[in-house]
Amino acid sequence: MGAIIKAIEYIYPNNKITNTDLSNQFPDYDFTKFEEKVGIKNRYWVDENETALDLAIKACEKLFLRFSKDAIDYVLYCTQSPEYVLPTTACILQDKLGLSKNIGALDFNLGCSGYTYGISLAKALINSNQAKNILLVTSETYSKYLHPLDRSNRAIFGDAATATLISFDKKEGVGEFLFGTDGSGYDKLIVKNGGSKFSYNPNAEEISYGTNNIYTDNHLYMDGPEVFNFTNEVIPNFTKEVLHKNNLNVEDISQFVFHQANAFMLNFMRKRLKASKENFFVDLEDGGNTVSCTIPIALKKYSQSILDESSVIIVGFGVGLSWSGGLIKINNKL
Amino acid sequence: MKKDDFISGLQEELEIETTLETTTNLKDLEEWDSMAAMLLIGYVSNEFAVTLNADSIKNITTVESLIEMIGLDKFN
Repeated sequence: MGAIIKAIEYIYPNNKITNTDLSNQFPDYDFTKFEEKVGIKNRYWVDENETALDLAIKACEKLFLRFSKDAIDYVLYCTQSPEYVLPTTACILQDKLGLSKNIGALDFNLGCSGYTYGISLAKALINSNQAKNILLVTSETYSKYLHPLDRSNRAIFGDAATATLISFDKKEGVGEFLFGTDGSGYDKLIVKNGGSKFSYNPNAEEISYGTNNIYTDNHLYMDGPEVFNFTNEVIPNFTKEVLHKNNLNVEDISQFVFHQANAFMLNFMRKRLKASKENFFVDLEDGGNTVSCTIPIALKKYSQSILDESSVIIVGFGVGLSWSGGLIKINNKL
Repeated sequence: MKKDDFISGLQEELEIETTLETTTNLKDLEEWDSMAAMLLIGYVSNEFAVTLNADSIKNITTVESLIEMIGLDKFN
């Protein structure tokens, strides 16, 4: 007995931003090399009045075209773009979706490691007999945190929402998971103002960083080199530990689905792991880095091509600093 | 590694069109940007197992300064 991932749906906002659109905004920068190395052609951003909750509702409704919402008995909502400081967005989602009132619902604040955490939590809830059909939602609108003149991050991040149904099953479809945390890197990827330590500052000073990028402490800041180094130093070995924990080798894995952060970085890690291109998912062209949404989007895409049971290693890493990963088994189109 | 091999490898990795000299200031190159910094970090990490952090990137000037940062003992 165990838990299996039954289905995934995802949604992007309507507003599509191509590299040509960005070139028009930043005429001094050539996006050709960016497109080739980072692998992103376009991303989608919400309009001013649209929120992550709006996207989440759409993704869930897409899922409910295939599965009854009445069976849902727990909602795990992963976001760093909550509707309010309080209450918990998952409670509003329960009402908007018309889910049963006899369910558990909570938000958890993680970024790129969020989906892998969510799968592990869902497995734990099911295997401890606390829930049978879990709705795991990831929804993120980092575009709201980006400074208008932060060219690098505007090129990388896109908005999206995903909805995954994880259900009780006779077979175990979720293997062993491992976790990692290093809070000493909390300020490597941060929105400093607006929480309880520093309130939003309408007169925040504009700070220049990297190559002519600008942000303020009200906006998202990312120390690119540090995040890149952390990922390359920690994640390949961590992935080997995840394999070991599941008694598997690199060759046993049908597909490695890592958080889709940046194509260059993914290939860099792939080589360290000695995995072949065919067994390592890289596709950021349409949508870019959508934080906790990249892994479920990648799983949905990958599952369209599978013919029999597929062993997949999923690994998420980023803001926190936080990372987690584990084994899942997929045997149908999600 | 020979300095010359390092410099030609650097030129290739960063896709720099002009010829690099030890005296070339990397920050003055048209190709220098955060993407180039990422490629540089990857190249140096693979070739020397040396990690360039944000501060090292900020402090790089000429190719020679990069070589010193990596460590002269790693070159022959």
